[in-house]
Amino acid sequence: MTGWIARLVPLVFVLALAALWEMASRFGLVDPRLLPPFSDVVRTLGVLLQDARFRGDLGFTLSEIAVAFAVVGPLGLGVGFFLGENILAYRMFAPALNLLLSIPKSIFLPVFIFAFGIGFLQKVIFAITLAFFIVVLSGIAAARLVPPGLAMAARSFGATRRQIYLQIYLPAMEPLIIEGLRMGLIFTVTGVLIAEMYGSPRGIGRDLFAWGEMLQMRELFAGVLLVVVVTIICNELLRSIEEFRKSCRRGFR
Amino acid sequence: MPSGVQMTAEDIARETIVVDGVGKTYGGGTHALTALTDVSFTVREGEFATLVGPSGCGKSTLLQILAGLVPASSGLVAIDGRMVTGPSPDKIGVMFQDAWLLPWKTAAENVEFPLVLRKVKPAERRKRALPLLELVGLASFADRYPDELSGGMRQRVAIARCLVQEPRVLLMDEPFAALDEQTRTRMGNELLQIWEKSGGTVVFVTHGLTEAIYLADTVFVMGTRPGRIIERIAVPLSRPRSIDMIGSESFGRLRNHIWHLIAEVRT
Repeated sequence: MTGWIARLVPLVFVLALAALWEMASRFGLVDPRLLPPFSDVVRTLGVLLQDARFRGDLGFTLSEIAVAFAVVGPLGLGVGFFLGENILAYRMFAPALNLLLSIPKSIFLPVFIFAFGIGFLQKVIFAITLAFFIVVLSGIAAARLVPPGLAMAARSFGATRRQIYLQIYLPAMEPLIIEGLRMGLIFTVTGVLIAEMYGSPRGIGRDLFAWGEMLQMRELFAGVLLVVVVTIICNELLRSIEEFRKSCRRGFR
Repeated sequence: MPSGVQMTAEDIARETIVVDGVGKTYGGGTHALTALTDVSFTVREGEFATLVGPSGCGKSTLLQILAGLVPASSGLVAIDGRMVTGPSPDKIGVMFQDAWLLPWKTAAENVEFPLVLRKVKPAERRKRALPLLELVGLASFADRYPDELSGGMRQRVAIARCLVQEPRVLLMDEPFAALDEQTRTRMGNELLQIWEKSGGTVVFVTHGLTEAIYLADTVFVMGTRPGRIIERIAVPLSRPRSIDMIGSESFGRLRNHIWHLIAEVRT
């Protein structure tokens, strides 16, 4: 019962926000030229989704995100696991990692354009660069989550290295792996959109930027709404996998 | 077996556990740390031996060397006439201070885990695990997860898991040290019953003097800096053991004797 109510609260919150938006704009609390009513924005989104050019941009952006995520997920987790397991490598690379993590990657966008142009590849590489470090950190944390004693005990029952990785490490690290992928996805989406807004012939980010420049607020907010909804759906999907796995598997207390 | 005397092949074959001139040094050069030096002893078939000593005397390291989990820097270890070069799960069961159960597996699945590693069929695994859970008094907890069990229960599951491959030698590294005193005593008695039934050989590491004497046929007292064996004591108590023996005069004398041995070496 309480679980059901807890699930309902975010929905009520979103509906209240939409209603507030609608009323603020309709009753002139904010300038409707700057913030068009929610219902108008939803209608504009419907029109946009009929438009072949917009759908093409959407597909372009989604495939950039998919490719970048498919690379950065395994790559970041792999590097993170290696660093988490290997104390010497960690001591060598951790300072550089922290340094690179703290630098705002977007200041290098001009450099990325010089190096990789303004096409698909540049967006993918920038998104990977942005998401990589956060996924590596999750990978390190995941590897550290496994108590060494668990592996030692398994070794005493005759477990091979492969068995220890597959039957001890993997299930023990699962919650943090999923969490790391979730963070990685958020950063990948951000990276692709920022790179598109900065300079791109196609894509949702480019559209958002252009609409903003031309004060096409209906289209701008419709685009924003779409990005928000898609991101939330992806995020919730990964989170529900995490919740589901948690309910059938137990972690360390 | 006095130290420094070369073991013959015959000696190695006769005793269940032979430790000869074992040393362990960590690191090298000026930072080298000697954890164990020239440790030699033997344990015969069916004997219950305890290793007792202050913390830092290398008793856990010694047990890990016996288990083949850590290589010795010098000397040799033989179990059942074979040199120990790595874990041999079919002959040796190992228990640690923590039960190290897999939190995502039930008690029964944890007991079965060593068999899973050896690709034993599920039905066969269950058939071997359930009687062991019954032996440690946890038959009705087979489907519970480790976080639903008490510390004592978790160590019972670990005992059952240790026995599932029917090892002839049990190596136990302070398995009851994290438990409260009542539970510790009860677990000790249960372990003795299991041992008497199975007739295996046990090496049990502890820092508790009472526990060391109460359980053992033979107590090996260890000294520190560097870790070594300072005395071998045959315990003159009859079997089966009972709690009353702990209060007896001979028990108290033995306990004092070990206490002084450890205290003298430390100062």
